Amino acid sequence: MGSEVVSAVSPTRQAFRRVRRDRSARLGAVLVVVLVLIAIAAPLLAKLEGQDPYTYNIGLLDPLRGNAPRGAVGGLSGDHWFGIEPLTGRDLFAIAVLGLRTSLFIAIVVTLVTTVVGTLVGISAAYFGGWYDAVVSRLLDFLFGFPSLLFMIALGIIVPAGFPRWLLLIIVLSVFGWAGLARLIRNQARSLVEREFVEAARSSGSSGWHIVTRELLPNLLGPVLVIATMAVPGIIGAEAGLSFLGVGVPPPTPSLGRSISDSIVWVYTGADPWFLAFPGAMLFLAVLGFTLLGDGVRDAFDVRLRRTH
Amino acid sequence: MPDLVWFVIRRLLATVLVMLALSLAVYLIFYALPADPARLGCGKPCTPDRLEQARHFMQLDQSTMQQYLQFLKGIVAGRTFGEGAAAVQCNAPCFGYSFPLARPVTTLILSRLPITASIAIGAAVLWLIAGVSLGLGAALRRGRLFDRFAVGFALVGVASPSFLVGLLAILVFGFWLNMVPVNGYVPLTDSPVDWAWHLVLPWVVLAALNAASYIRLTRAQMLEELNLDHITTARAKGAGEGRVVLLHGLRGVLVPIVTIFGLDLGGLLGGAILTEKVFSMQGLGELLISSVGQLDVAVVVGVTLFSAFLVILANLVVDVLHGVLDPRVGHA
Amino acid sequence: MPEPRKTPSETPVLEVHDLHVTFRTEGGLVPAVDGIDFAVAPGQTLAIVGESGSGKSVSSAAVMGLLPSNADVKGEVLLDGRELTKLTAEELRKVRGNEVALVFQDALSALNPYYSVGWQVAEAYRLHHDVSKKEANARAVRMLDLVGIPSAAQRARAYPHEFSGGMRQRVVIAMALVNDPKVLIADEPTTALDVTVQAQIIQLLEDVQTEFGTALVLISHDLGVVAEVADDVLVMYAGRAAEQGSVKDIFYRAAHPYSLGLLGAMPRVDVPPKHRLTTIPGSPPSPGSIETGCPFQPRCAYTERVGERCITERPLLTPRPGEGNHEAACHLGRRPEIAQEVARTGIQENAAPEGAPLQQSAAQESAPLEHSAAKAEGPLQPSAEESAL
Ligand SMILES: Nc1ncnc2c1ncn2[C@@H]1O[C@H](COP(=O)(O)OP(=O)(O)OP(=O)(O)O)[C@@H](O)[C@H]1O
Ligand code: SF4
Ligand SMILES: [Mg+2]
Repeated sequence: MGSEVVSAVSPTRQAFRRVRRDRSARLGAVLVVVLVLIAIAAPLLAKLEGQDPYTYNIGLLDPLRGNAPRGAVGGLSGDHWFGIEPLTGRDLFAIAVLGLRTSLFIAIVVTLVTTVVGTLVGISAAYFGGWYDAVVSRLLDFLFGFPSLLFMIALGIIVPAGFPRWLLLIIVLSVFGWAGLARLIRNQARSLVEREFVEAARSSGSSGWHIVTRELLPNLLGPVLVIATMAVPGIIGAEAGLSFLGVGVPPPTPSLGRSISDSIVWVYTGADPWFLAFPGAMLFLAVLGFTLLGDGVRDAFDVRLRRTH
Repeated sequence: MPDLVWFVIRRLLATVLVMLALSLAVYLIFYALPADPARLGCGKPCTPDRLEQARHFMQLDQSTMQQYLQFLKGIVAGRTFGEGAAAVQCNAPCFGYSFPLARPVTTLILSRLPITASIAIGAAVLWLIAGVSLGLGAALRRGRLFDRFAVGFALVGVASPSFLVGLLAILVFGFWLNMVPVNGYVPLTDSPVDWAWHLVLPWVVLAALNAASYIRLTRAQMLEELNLDHITTARAKGAGEGRVVLLHGLRGVLVPIVTIFGLDLGGLLGGAILTEKVFSMQGLGELLISSVGQLDVAVVVGVTLFSAFLVILANLVVDVLHGVLDPRVGHA
Repeated sequence: MPEPRKTPSETPVLEVHDLHVTFRTEGGLVPAVDGIDFAVAPGQTLAIVGESGSGKSVSSAAVMGLLPSNADVKGEVLLDGRELTKLTAEELRKVRGNEVALVFQDALSALNPYYSVGWQVAEAYRLHHDVSKKEANARAVRMLDLVGIPSAAQRARAYPHEFSGGMRQRVVIAMALVNDPKVLIADEPTTALDVTVQAQIIQLLEDVQTEFGTALVLISHDLGVVAEVADDVLVMYAGRAAEQGSVKDIFYRAAHPYSLGLLGAMPRVDVPPKHRLTTIPGSPPSPGSIETGCPFQPRCAYTERVGERCITERPLLTPRPGEGNHEAACHLGRRPEIAQEVARTGIQENAAPEGAPLQQSAAQESAPLEHSAAKAEGPLQPSAEESAL
C-alpha cells in the first residue's frame, strides 16, 4: 500500500532520504564531512594557528619533569590549541590535524583501490562462474589465510628506507584489503546473476559487457557503496595500528598512530597523559564517524552482508 | 557421519596445499628482500671470509628454491646446520633456526604461545559471553534504555582502536586507581591467581572491544530471527518465552556467531600484536615484532606461517561447525 | 454442496465477541480488526474470507494471544466459556497448541530449519504432556504417520528442507494436531501449494476433523474450497464483517455487494475462460482510513441506488433471509425493492442464482483452471478490467 507514491523515486534516492532521516547516520555524515574538511584544510588550519608540526619549542618544556610540557592540560594555550608534544615541544594541534590528513588520505585511497579491484573481481567471478570463480575463491581463501598484519609489519621494516612509506602503506593495505570486499561483492552479484532478468538478458543475446555494465553494475551500486563505506573505519584503524607499531609513515610526517605510540611512556609514567588525548580523540572520532555513516548507509540500502562461503 | 569425515579429509588436503603456497610465497618474499641475516650473524669485524662461512653455516649459500626445500624437509624430518662439533641440531618439526637467539623457531613459538593463548582464550571467553548476552538482551528490549545503552556501548567499542583503549585502561585502572597490575606475565602453572590477576586488564580491554561487534551481530541477527514465522510457530505451540528465545531464536543465530568467533580466536592466537605491545606481554606477536627488528628472517617466516596455519585451521573448524550446526548446509 | 456435519444448534467451543485489534504504529493507530463476532462448534468449520489485509490473520492471532506488543485487543474470546484475553501468560501458554492450534500458510518458514520434524512435533507434545522424550517421539511418529507421511519413523529424523511443500504442510498439521486440540485455526493452509496438493491437504483437514471432532477455523482465499468444506462463512472487509451466515446463505443468498464481488471473482467452470475471472475494481481501504459511511462505498456499484446513507452512515450487521444467522452490513437490504432489482439484474451475472448451485470441488475444479497457487490472490487484486458489477 502506498507503493505508488514512492515508486517514482529511484531506490538510490530513497536510500539517501533514509540516511537523512536516520539520526545516527546524520551524526556520522556530519562527523565525516567535518573531519574531511579539517583534513583538507589542515595546512591552512595550522597556519591559522600560527604553528607547524616540525618546530621544536624546547623552551615550553619542563626539564625537571622529564621535559613534559609546562602548564596544565599538556601545555594547552592560545598559541598551542591542543598543547604541545612532550620532549620536543612541537605543536600538537598541527600534528593532530595533519596526522588526520595522513590517515584519511591513506584510508580513502585504499578504499577506492580495494573497492574498484574488489568490484571487478567480485562481479567477474559471479558472472563467469565455473573454474574462474573457483580459482578466485581459492585466491581469496589464500589471502584470508594470510596473516596480513604480521606480514605488513615485517614488510614495513624490511622494505628499503628509500621506498616512500605512504605508498607502501597504501599498497600493503590494498593488497590485503580487497579480498574481503571482493568476497562480499561476489556474493551479492551471485544472487543477482541467479535472478531471471540477467538470465533473460543472457538468453536474448546481450553481450557480457552489456550485462555487466547495464544489468549488474547499476543493481550493485547500493551494495558496493555500503561495503566500501563500511570498510573505511577498518582501514583507518589498520593504518593507525601499523603506525602505532612503528611501521607507518616515518617521522617527522605527523601520524595519529605514531603519536599515540609515542604517548605510551608519558601515559605509563603519568607525566603527561594529555599527550594521548588529542591524537586519540581524533582517531576515535574518525573511526566513529565512518562507522556511523556505514551503518546508516547499510540500513538505508537494506543490504544484508552475510559471511557465507 | 561419513560425509563429515570426507569433508574434513578434503579440506585438510586443501589446507595443506594452501599452506604450501603460503609458505612458498612468504619464503620467496622474505628471502628476496635485501636483508642479509648472515651479515648480522657474522659478528664484528666481519671479514668476507667469515661472512662466507656464516652463509654456508646458515645454508644461505644455496638457491632460494633449495633453501625452501630444505625448510620443508626440516618440518618433516628436522635438519642440521653446520658439521661436526659446531653443528646445530633442529629437530622435526623444524620451522627454521634463529641464529641470533640460538634456538629452533619451534621452541621459540612454543615458549611464547602460552602467553598469547592466555590472553586470547581468556578474552575470547569473556567477550563471547558478554557480547552474546548483551546483544540478546538488547534485541529483547529493543528501543528501551537497555538497548540504547548496549547499542551505544557497542558503537564506541567498534570505533575504538584497541591500543587506544588499552592505554586509557592502563592509565585509569593501573595508575590513577592503582587497582590491577599493568604488565608482566605469571605462568598459569606458577600461580593461577597471579596469572589471572596479571591478565585482567588485557582480558577486559580486549573483551570489551571485541564484545562490541558480537553485541551488534547478535542483536541484529536476533531481531531478524525473532521476526521469522517459525518463532510464531513456537509460541503457537505453547513454548514459553525463554524457550522461544533460547531454543528457537538463539539457535538460528548460533551459526554466524560461531563463524566469527572461530575466525577471531584463530586470528588472535597467532599473535595479539597490539595488545601484547600495549601491555608489554612477551607473546608471539612480540616475538615477531622483535625478530623483524633484528632481521631474524627465520623467526619471521616461522611465526608468520604458524599464524597463517592457525587462521586456516580456524576456517576449517568453522566450516565443519557450520555444516554440523546448520542441517541445510551439509558437507556433501 | 456438502451437508452440515453437525446441527448448528450445538454449543460452540470457540466464541469471539466484538473483537477489536488496534495497532499502535509510527503512523498512528491502525484498527486492523474493528468489531467482529464469530463462533464455531466442535466438528464444524467456519471459513473466514476476504481480500488481503482485511484482518483475517490478525483475528486468528488475536484468538491465540499471538499479536505483537504494539497491538491492543478488546472484546471477548471464549474457549469453552473461558475468557482467553484475561489469562496470564502461563495460562495462555497452556492453551496454545494444546486446546487451540494453528496451521500456517507457509510450512517451510513455519518450521524451524534447525530441528528435525520429529523433534518439532514431539516438542509440541512435550510442552503440554509430562512424558519422556521417547514417548513423545513415538507419539510424533504416530502423528506423522496419521497425516500421511510415508515411512514416518524414518522421515521424523529428516529436516524441513528435505520435504516437499505438501509433505511439510502435513508435518505442520501433525504438529498442530499432536495434542488433540479442540480448535484448529488454519490460516491459508494451501496457498503456497500446487493445486493437486491443495486438494490433498484440504482432504486431510476434513478427515482429521471428522476423526477428532475438531472445530476448524479455515482462513482462505479459495471460495471453491470454502464452498466445499465450510459450514459457516464470515466475509471480512477492512477489519469488519461484511456478511456472515451459513455456507448456503453466502453462496446462494449473498446480500452484500462485496460478497457478490468475491463470488464473481471466483473461477467458474461454466463460463468461457476469457470471462471466468472478474475482479472487484479498486483496492481495499487501509484500515481506519474510512471513518464514516460504508468502507466498501468507494468500490461499490450499488451505492447510487442507496444514496447518501452509504457515505454518511456506517451500515451495521442486520439479519437477512436465510438459514438462521445470516447477517449483512449493507444499507441495501433495508430497501427490499432495490435488493430485488439487484437480484434480478446485476447479481445473476456473478453469483449463481438459487437452484443452480456452483459446481465447486477443489479437486475436480481447480486443476483445469488457472486458479493455481501463484494466482491465488490474483482474482481479488484490483485490476483495470471491467467488472460485471
Ligand atoms: N504488526 C502490525 N503492525 C501494524 N499493522 C499491522 C500489523 N499486523 C497487521 N497489520 C495490519 O492489519 C491489517 C490486517 O492484516 P492481516 O494480516 O490480518 O490481513 P489478512 O486478511 O490476513 O490478509 P492476507 O490475506 O494477505 O493474509 C493489515 O492492513 C495490516 O497492515
Ligand atoms: S452500504 Fe452502500 S456502499 Fe456499502 S456495500 Fe451497501 S450499498 Fe455498497
Ligand atoms: Mg493473512
